[in-house]
Amino acid sequence: MTATLETPAAVSDLDAAVTLSGVRKVFGHGPAGVVALDGVDLKVAPGEFVCLLGASGCGKSTLLNLVAGLDAPTSGTIELTTSRPAVMFQEAALMPWLTAARNVELPLRLAGLKRGERREKAGELLSLVRLVGAGHKRPHELSGGMRQRVALARALASTMGSAEEGTPGLLLMDEPFAALDAITRDVLQAELVRVWRETSTAIVFVTHDVREAVRLGQRVVLLSSRPGRVVREWSTVDCDEPAVIEDITSHLREVISGHAAA
Amino acid sequence: MPQLDTDLAAVGAGLDALDAPSQEQRPSLRKRFIRTAVPPLIAFALLLGVWQGLWAAAFWPEYQLPSPASVWAAVAEAIETGRAFEVLWTSVSRAVLGFLTAVVIATPLGLLIAKVRVVRAAIGSLLTGLQSLPSVAWVPAGILWFGATPATIYFVVLMGSVPSIANGLVSGVDQIPPLLPRVGQALGAGRLAAARHILLPAALPGYLAGLKQGWAFSWRSLMAAEIIATSPQLGEGLGQYLHNGASLNDISMVIAAIFLILLVGVGIELLVFRPLERAVLRARGLTGAL
Repeated sequence: MTATLETPAAVSDLDAAVTLSGVRKVFGHGPAGVVALDGVDLKVAPGEFVCLLGASGCGKSTLLNLVAGLDAPTSGTIELTTSRPAVMFQEAALMPWLTAARNVELPLRLAGLKRGERREKAGELLSLVRLVGAGHKRPHELSGGMRQRVALARALASTMGSAEEGTPGLLLMDEPFAALDAITRDVLQAELVRVWRETSTAIVFVTHDVREAVRLGQRVVLLSSRPGRVVREWSTVDCDEPAVIEDITSHLREVISGHAAA
Repeated sequence: MPQLDTDLAAVGAGLDALDAPSQEQRPSLRKRFIRTAVPPLIAFALLLGVWQGLWAAAFWPEYQLPSPASVWAAVAEAIETGRAFEVLWTSVSRAVLGFLTAVVIATPLGLLIAKVRVVRAAIGSLLTGLQSLPSVAWVPAGILWFGATPATIYFVVLMGSVPSIANGLVSGVDQIPPLLPRVGQALGAGRLAAARHILLPAALPGYLAGLKQGWAFSWRSLMAAEIIATSPQLGEGLGQYLHNGASLNDISMVIAAIFLILLVGVGIELLVFRPLERAVLRARGLTGAL
């Protein structure tokens, strides 16, 4: 994994941040094995915002884990030209014994940065997610939305820690706003877009919310369920938003109702 | 669209202010003192009263139930002659040294059991079993192996406290939410770094509970060993002091020894473990039990 990260020149496709070709993932062995992903081809350009959309069991989270290197594909290849991908989960999963600032510093510490440098970078990231005054607070003293923003800053720090100057970043997000209330989610979506514009990292965002996908992504990729395959893609740049939402929703329904008979 | 951007910042700040959990004000020092120190003092006074009453009613002969005053006289005498400090120092230094050695042995042992499946299968239940074995049972074996030397005493202390500490760490590790190690992996932690920065701190509350129990067991085992294994080589600890009291048929001295043993137990709990536990739990927002 790391070897691929450190030698971007060896990767054939330099215009892509992530290239998945023929990725297949089977859990278990033999006839009892469950095929989570089957022949997924996907390319994400540097700085692109891609939303993966699908119903339950489409292997969205599996796909993200594979790209993050937390799991290995059964067959197929995943190539990254970015620094170590940052991951954000549905829960903030902050370390409860560390303050917000220390949580952001943790990946930098793991990457071996000196204390002064860590402080400085963590400070910058906290101000990027508008949490300047909250660095000394513990996770239990923060609201759900604030925790998710700390998690975002920490995820960004983890790509920065491993990155050499100029390497594009990659942020993988697994339904990060699903557990938040509607108002907070709305604000955080806007914040995410702002952060994305400021940092120019590529983002792969997994969700089951069509509106969220269309609002955030430049491109929406619909996955089928059991096994997960790419069904169709939509570009949402300069599109007629309600029409696209309707189109995607009807396709999603089609995919889901296909499972009723089986 | 700078206007929109500031609007968003304002909305976000408003949400933060509304949603952030409100801080509980810590009560003042005097209030906390009244709340924590007064009830046990009252309980102790009641106990003394009942004791004095029973003694005054003379249900039991004096050599079985001494008066509080005569026990206090025995304690006061031991303190005045300096014997109490020697005895306490001998025992407490042994217990602390034994306990620290146990920590050094039990911590890697606990981590191994928690993280390596074969090791857990092999000795996990043995360790739990050892915890329920009274460590006094090791005294005869210790005397046969090491003679009536300090080695026997340390052996018994270790057999008492190592299983508790290791088991505490194991249950601490078992109770870590599985998402945290995965986050650690995603943040780029290797096996060792994950143990140092995620596993150990996440397991700290359970580990601390194990340490507390390990201290109790090591103190208890030490007393058992000192009461049974007495020899001039071993010097006089609290256990021997108690043993001597029994040999002299001096019930005041026996009760005084028990009082001192309890005093050390309660003292270490209040001075060391309670504040540690409080600090660790408070930092994580687990203030329910405090």
